Amino acid sequence: MTIQNLQQLKDLQKKVTTEKKKFHKKVIVCCGTGCLANGAKAILDEFKSVLSKKKIRNFAVEAVTETGCHGFCEQGPLVAIEPEGTFYTKVKPKDVADIIEESIRGDKVIERLLYTNPATTEKTESYRNIPFFSHQQRIALRNVGNIAAHDIKEYIAVGGYQALYKALTKMTPDEIIEEITKSGLRGRGGGGFPAGRKWRTCADVESDVRYVICNADEGDPGAFMDRSIMEGDPHGVLEGMMIAAFAVGAHMGYIYVREEYPLAVRNIKAAIEQCEEFGLMGDDILGTGFSFHIRIARGAGAFVCGESSALMKSVAGEIGEPRAKYVRSVVKGLYDKPTVLNNVETFINVPLIIGKGSKWFAAIGTPKSTGTKVFSLVGKVRNTGLIEVPMGTTVREIIYDIGGGILDDRPFKAVQTGGPSGGCLPESKLDLPVDFDSLTEAGSMMGSGGMIVMDDKTCMVDVAKYFLSFLVDESCGKCVPCREGLYQLHKLVVKVSEGRGEEGDLEKMEKLSKSIVMGSLCGLGTSGPNPLLSTIRYFRDEYLEHIRDKKCRAGVCRELITYRVNEKCTGCLACISACAYHAITGKKKEVHVIDQDKCTKCGACVAVCKQDAIDVF
Amino acid sequence: MTTHRFVVNPVLCTGCRTCELACSFTHSVNGKPGKSRIYPLDGGFKDLWVPVVCLQCEEAACAKACLVDAITRNPETGAMDLDEDRCVRCMACVAACPFGCSLHDSHHNLVVKCDLCGGDPACAHFCPTQALSYKPIEIKKLKSA
Amino acid sequence: MVTLTINGKLVQAEEGEMLLAVIERQNIDIPSTCNHKAVEPYGACRLCTVEITHPKWPGWKKHVTSCLYPVEEGLVVSTHAPEVIELRKTLLDLMLARSPKAKLVQDMAAEYGVTRTSYEEVPDGNDCILCGLCVRVCDQMGFHAISAVGRGHGKEIAPPLDEPPPDCVGCLACAQICPTNFIKYTDAGNKRTIWGKEFELIACERTGQPTITKEFAEYLSKHRDIPEEYFKRNDLTHRRELAATMGKISQWQREEEE
Repeated sequence: MTIQNLQQLKDLQKKVTTEKKKFHKKVIVCCGTGCLANGAKAILDEFKSVLSKKKIRNFAVEAVTETGCHGFCEQGPLVAIEPEGTFYTKVKPKDVADIIEESIRGDKVIERLLYTNPATTEKTESYRNIPFFSHQQRIALRNVGNIAAHDIKEYIAVGGYQALYKALTKMTPDEIIEEITKSGLRGRGGGGFPAGRKWRTCADVESDVRYVICNADEGDPGAFMDRSIMEGDPHGVLEGMMIAAFAVGAHMGYIYVREEYPLAVRNIKAAIEQCEEFGLMGDDILGTGFSFHIRIARGAGAFVCGESSALMKSVAGEIGEPRAKYVRSVVKGLYDKPTVLNNVETFINVPLIIGKGSKWFAAIGTPKSTGTKVFSLVGKVRNTGLIEVPMGTTVREIIYDIGGGILDDRPFKAVQTGGPSGGCLPESKLDLPVDFDSLTEAGSMMGSGGMIVMDDKTCMVDVAKYFLSFLVDESCGKCVPCREGLYQLHKLVVKVSEGRGEEGDLEKMEKLSKSIVMGSLCGLGTSGPNPLLSTIRYFRDEYLEHIRDKKCRAGVCRELITYRVNEKCTGCLACISACAYHAITGKKKEVHVIDQDKCTKCGACVAVCKQDAIDVF
Repeated sequence: MTTHRFVVNPVLCTGCRTCELACSFTHSVNGKPGKSRIYPLDGGFKDLWVPVVCLQCEEAACAKACLVDAITRNPETGAMDLDEDRCVRCMACVAACPFGCSLHDSHHNLVVKCDLCGGDPACAHFCPTQALSYKPIEIKKLKSA
Repeated sequence: MVTLTINGKLVQAEEGEMLLAVIERQNIDIPSTCNHKAVEPYGACRLCTVEITHPKWPGWKKHVTSCLYPVEEGLVVSTHAPEVIELRKTLLDLMLARSPKAKLVQDMAAEYGVTRTSYEEVPDGNDCILCGLCVRVCDQMGFHAISAVGRGHGKEIAPPLDEPPPDCVGCLACAQICPTNFIKYTDAGNKRTIWGKEFELIACERTGQPTITKEFAEYLSKHRDIPEEYFKRNDLTHRRELAATMGKISQWQREEEE
């Protein structure tokens, strides 16, 4: 059906919501990539199969909704039951029958599937009361985990595309740009550039052709904010892009998705097709005369193609090498035409700003960083997953109130923010607010929202080594400071981590970093030394220990540690079987011995030892 | 209006090669004589010499052959100038010129051609018989370019 | 016209000109390896970096590659600021680690006081400094025969799939433009070999001297509106032919006058 005006849109919305009211309960199965990997499909199929067979009298259960990521990935697979908000964690297919019997036909909760607070062992029934969720403000993620991502009707049922209608019929392009500017929306991909100003510049360039591109490359290792949004609310992204296109005068859009996101591509593709079917995208949208088409462009496994100019080259089928941006891509971008490039999370906020007004948005967060930010909270924290908080929330709140504190109650050491372009923050900086500017002064950055929590068993030299090796691998190779500089910098860090560090190496690394920052062509190079520089800044002693004492206090750097069996050993032979290098010898009931020449410090023995009998020095 | 015309009159040429010397020294490279862009040759008859030099063709094959646009018309002198910094030494112009007036200076790895010395051709200046001359002429009607 | 300051001196420049051209006109020597008039500036080597500031900028300065930074009214440029010198030193040091035997790199580094690299020599280093000039000139000429392959440290210049490039016409522009003479070719008699591809050089009909490759001549006559005939003789033969023709005309003129 083609929607031609607001009334039809609202009628469809009413129709769908009225139909939904017939159902007493709704079962939501999280089908984000994380839970899918954990077996959510089997659970979904089981629900569908059982419900189709059973006749549930006096009850109608809405067809099981497969939604996007709830964000509580640590506890998946997840099942939620509305309207109560009953939240089941670590669900297995064999639990489905019970869930249907107890919580759908009945009104009971199944205790054993409820979320248990690891600190207090308290069980919580509704997700609305779980601290992980109650501390969040889900705006960008408003629909993720609530609606079936692939169904446009569900999106319309929650008011989707009404903002688009408002923009196309009740506002002028200038008014739209004005609203976005007043809202203070800044780019969520890491750059934090004011979106309104970007759109304004693009619209002001004289050109017959303009483009709008959505950057869904999300190259930071461990980041999955954009993936979850695209999997869980693809229509929201499309609506945001369309509003932007109308505002700047573009008729062609691209979504550049990284190769490694097949589910996101599938959902976005389906969303585009449905949009076109319903007349909400294509030629003459909603009868307004505005035309807009979106194509999907896939990446090919290059982190550097998340950089705007390299991305545009890649879309055009050329080698993804960045160019110096003395002439900005908003003026000369894709095919040398004015192009607006924004991140997925930036676009998802647009329909809300248009629908609820810039004032509402600007009231959230801080004056210079308005709105919320989605973070992927991972590492040595109890509750790993995807969260969204207002800007200005402190790092401490995120890690402790939402994250539930450090795993196994180990001491907190550092938190790495902003991916390979960011840096590590120590305990003393935990009360910094997360926004675009505060973390930069401390030597890190918010970036696209990656947050990796580290405990005392994390070696900061190793962390720097990891990020540098990533960047060396991903460097496009065009400019000397990044290609050769990061390569040599990485070599120096490896030298230190392997115990071959010499006096003066730290100064050498700092000096080289300075040149890399000053001379590099693009952000990959200029921010590349950040992980190293921030760890040297806050953990200089740890580096000096590696260099002078040849010691790794976290017990990570292989050349500097020794595995030794202590007196707690009961001679159970478990580690002997676990050791793939036959480095451990010993008879039953006798204390085992590790042959240092054969030991590769892989850690397999430590993992299986139940007596805590292996020490790592 | 007044413009100039570079006139070559082989009847007057004695084959003395002064033009070659003048050209060489005017276009010196690192203080040493460069390759001459004018090439006096036997005319095939008794006491007949022809100073072969670039004809600055209206539809220059050298410019057509140049794929990096290193050969362009100088609006003041009317000559086809070869930009040495732009030239990539592919020898396309050397091969394409039907008069062989784009020359390969193998000593310095350069391609050279006559540029009328920017408006004061040395060869014409020194030619003892004015077989080569650079004369001002009045043109009443400018031929459209 | 635009007025700007370079090393304290006021200079004039054309609108749209790049800083490097203006700097070189002042006879100020700054190193650059990836810049050439025949192709668009690339900004890869970073050696031509200069420090710029502007009275309108509140107390901050930028470091930009002058090869592709367009001139601005009132810009204040410092080509040899201490930070810039330090950067160039490091860049040349890094380039030496990769291409220790390349004379160009050795000479440029020596000018900045770097005689040996202070880093570990790259195990698979060679004289290619990855300036990209060969690829860019091949693209500019219209052949697109070679390309940069691979990413980061493993980047190298190669023909497609490492096979003799089908689009190469053997014009040698790549070998000529290479600042370290890394691209090798052989001309033996009437045969030319480059990038593993063999070409036949046209032999002058009159003298047998080799000129350009058959493929290059075919391309020029087909796409640049030059008669095929022109390529059948070499330049010396053409000059002799012109002399012969002019000789005949002059002889006829002389006989007329008598």
